[in-house]
Amino acid sequence: MTLLPVPQLGNEITEAEVSEWFRPDGAEVVQGEPVVSISTTKMAIDLEAPASGKLRILIAEGDIAEVGTVLARIE
Amino acid sequence: MPKELLVDPSVSRAKTRLEGLDILVHAYDTPIDDEIAAHGADRLIEMLRHMLIIREFEGMLAAFKAQGMYREIAYTYKGPAHLSIGQEAAAVGSAFALDPDDHIFGSHRSHGEFLAKGLAAIARLPEARLADIMAAHDGGRLRDTVSTALGRDGRALAEDFLLFGFLAEIFMKANGFNGGMGGSMHAFFPPFGCYPNNAIVGASAGIATGAALRRRLVRDGGITVAHAGDGATGCGPVWEAMNFAAMGQYGRLWQDGGGRGLPVLFFFTNNFYAMGGQTSGETMAWDRLSRIGAGISPTGLHAETVDGANPLAVAEAVARKRRLLVTGDGPALLDVECYRLCGHSTTDANAYRTREEIKLWEDIDPIRRFAETLEAAGVLAPQQGEAMRQDVARRIAAVTRAVVDPRHAPPVDVAADPTRIGRLMFSNRHTTLPTDRAPGVGDPAASAALRGLARKARSGLTEAGEEMPPLRAITLRDGLAEAILHHMTHDERLVAWGEECREWGGAFGVYRGFSDILPHHRLFNSPISEAAIVAAAVGHAMEGGRSLVELMYADFIGRAGDEIFNQMAKWQAMSGGQMSLPVVLRASIGSKYGAQHSQDWTGLITHIPGLKVVYPATPYDAKGLMATALASEDPVVVFESQRLYDKVETFRPDGVPVDPYRIAFGTPEVKRAGRDVTILTIGPALYPALAAAAELSVAGIEVEVIDARTLVPFDYQPVLDSVARTGRFAIVTEASERGSFAQTAAATVARHGFAHLVAPPRVIGAPNWIVPGADMETTYFPQAIDIVDAVMADFFPDHRANRRGVRDWDELALARVGL
Ligand SMILES: Cc1ncc(C[n+]2csc(CCOP(=O)(O)OP(=O)(O)O)c2C)c(N)n1
Ligand SMILES: [Mg+2]
Repeated sequence: MTLLPVPQLGNEITEAEVSEWFRPDGAEVVQGEPVVSISTTKMAIDLEAPASGKLRILIAEGDIAEVGTVLARIE
Repeated sequence: MPKELLVDPSVSRAKTRLEGLDILVHAYDTPIDDEIAAHGADRLIEMLRHMLIIREFEGMLAAFKAQGMYREIAYTYKGPAHLSIGQEAAAVGSAFALDPDDHIFGSHRSHGEFLAKGLAAIARLPEARLADIMAAHDGGRLRDTVSTALGRDGRALAEDFLLFGFLAEIFMKANGFNGGMGGSMHAFFPPFGCYPNNAIVGASAGIATGAALRRRLVRDGGITVAHAGDGATGCGPVWEAMNFAAMGQYGRLWQDGGGRGLPVLFFFTNNFYAMGGQTSGETMAWDRLSRIGAGISPTGLHAETVDGANPLAVAEAVARKRRLLVTGDGPALLDVECYRLCGHSTTDANAYRTREEIKLWEDIDPIRRFAETLEAAGVLAPQQGEAMRQDVARRIAAVTRAVVDPRHAPPVDVAADPTRIGRLMFSNRHTTLPTDRAPGVGDPAASAALRGLARKARSGLTEAGEEMPPLRAITLRDGLAEAILHHMTHDERLVAWGEECREWGGAFGVYRGFSDILPHHRLFNSPISEAAIVAAAVGHAMEGGRSLVELMYADFIGRAGDEIFNQMAKWQAMSGGQMSLPVVLRASIGSKYGAQHSQDWTGLITHIPGLKVVYPATPYDAKGLMATALASEDPVVVFESQRLYDKVETFRPDGVPVDPYRIAFGTPEVKRAGRDVTILTIGPALYPALAAAAELSVAGIEVEVIDARTLVPFDYQPVLDSVARTGRFAIVTEASERGSFAQTAAATVARHGFAHLVAPPRVIGAPNWIVPGADMETTYFPQAIDIVDAVMADFFPDHRANRRGVRDWDELALARVGL
């Protein structure tokens, strides 16, 4: 199992919004594939699947998560 | 930036060579009989007549400048006379090939182009349309004056109308085409396709480019022509404009069906000299002007060198370029070689060229040569040319006699109405937005970024009164975005561009998500060409578009100095109030990046007459003021503080309304009430002023904080009312104090609130030195403690208070050493 956390995005940024999941919960994803877009007030970035496997979404679109929060598990 | 275009190393790194371009030089060789067969002899004779009109008209101006007398008419003309004697074939040949609805934008030396275009339009337009044009201009008054003074009708009346309206404008009379506000170098009359001439060398290039953008988008089949001299090829903004007109994205990314470039013809009237500097061989690196097109785009701008001494060679080339432009293959460039037989101006002593050189070119005087060609072809009878010249001279004399007669062309009576010119600066009109969604705009719900915006809380305060983080509540950035998005989605005329403003959403993310729903031709990334960004905005607005452009940092205003100060600010007034310029220029004021990225230059912009200036400090104000700016028919500069983009709304209990609303310009707002001191703040200075007020309140001093919100216009009354109650006035700004708007406000309040003041007004601004780096900024921009220090020292000297800020300096001593 691999975790997908909100990365550190800069020295003044503490949280980010989950803007869009590109793949639904339960989807088979491939390592390196963009799976979610998160935004801060200044920018939006896409996060890639850290491993191949089944995507288990933990934070829903529209929710705000602090840096370090696990957004999804790859099983 | 766009993901559609792959930057493929295997392509870019491949060994290859760029093939040279074939540039035609003096390729024209159509036999005159073919021209006569194609156009008819009458039209060619008409060209000759138009050249004679220009020659005589300019001869008249030259005579007034030199002798104060033309054919027994005495007149003192004090203005400029940049004549084009010897260059008439370039102007007339071009106008011959253009459609009446093509639009030319001229230079300082554009009398010939104006007359040629106007005369060609009069020759081609149906008489009924000419009658409508004359009836519509100034309620038909100019037509009536001309008809009374000169007694002709039909097309002859239209020609008299053109000559009279133009000469009256050159003499800056009240009934000149632009109400006497333009003059020789700025005259224009759009109904004949004569758009503004420009006294700034090269300035028409960017404006004509923006005008061409509008023409491409409305698909009216017309083109624009940017007239410039050879000297203008040394101007950076001209290069910026040529690139802007030829950007790769038109062909590769835009889906509007308009082809691979903008329909603009860069028409360089190459007379081999600027004023005294010789271009080829001395001041420029090119040998042939037409070569420069190759530096711009793979088409080389279809550049050619043509013989500007032969109107038919020019007409043939312009007709070919025009065909390229209307099929979407613009822009194009023509290097039209000709020679200025007269001086640059009437003070030109010809020190830079020899008598022999002038003589060589006199031998190919375009008028004499064309008359000879027509005679040799048997379509112009001997003496017919001379008879035509005399007829033209009589007509110019009659028009001139009428224009110098104040009964027909009265001067602008400023004394009778001292603020008359001032009232031309702004129309103060606003557009109403269509209620329907503009075509081609996607559904905001399809954009993750825009969905995120819709989820945010409208107020920036929690129920417990705590400030919310910017991800959770509408920020100043979002307020701007909502107003802009509403206008973008409802008004098809509005087009936005700037550096990195599409996918990136602008360097500070105001447009984030917009590219998900707006097509490229409504929102696009511009090149790093601040001059072209603003000039194109001006041209786009002149043609009926509405422009929203962005300078990433206000510090880059310098790169667009002429475009902001002379073009955007002035054309409404220089048009005599006939032209609207709905341009919104956004400029962010930076922070943390030091001396060239953090300057508050509001004082520069407010100094220039003709620009409305706003500087919102709260999300509610940002949304409402931006909406007003976008609806305004007047040009507006919107300053945005980078430090405030993440500010949430803490003043309005209900937060920022979802629905659109507008805040009228000119109304400062009391953000905190108080009885002892009035503090006016500009932009982000609001927040340290409020912090200072909170501190002073503990000491029993109640400060009224007024947020200026708008700097131009500005209603002083709420400030004076406040000062009448408090008797003490300070103003806080992040601009360097010297020459700032704050100093203007302080002086004005001192004068009009004097009776109530117990102490002189105090300006608390930034010092007159560079903005230092991030860690030193608090020593530069006024902080709450600086405000407390100043209030205590200046207004309550009897209270003992320890100074805590760094501003313990002697202003007068600093001034003595230039600080
Ligand atoms: C930006 C700017 N710089 C300088 C001038 C002063 N000036 C007026 S005309 C001129 C020469 C322009 O040469 P060119 O573009 O070849 O036009 P020409 O006068 O030959 O028609 C100069 C330097 C100006 N009006 N604008
Ligand atoms: Mg020149």
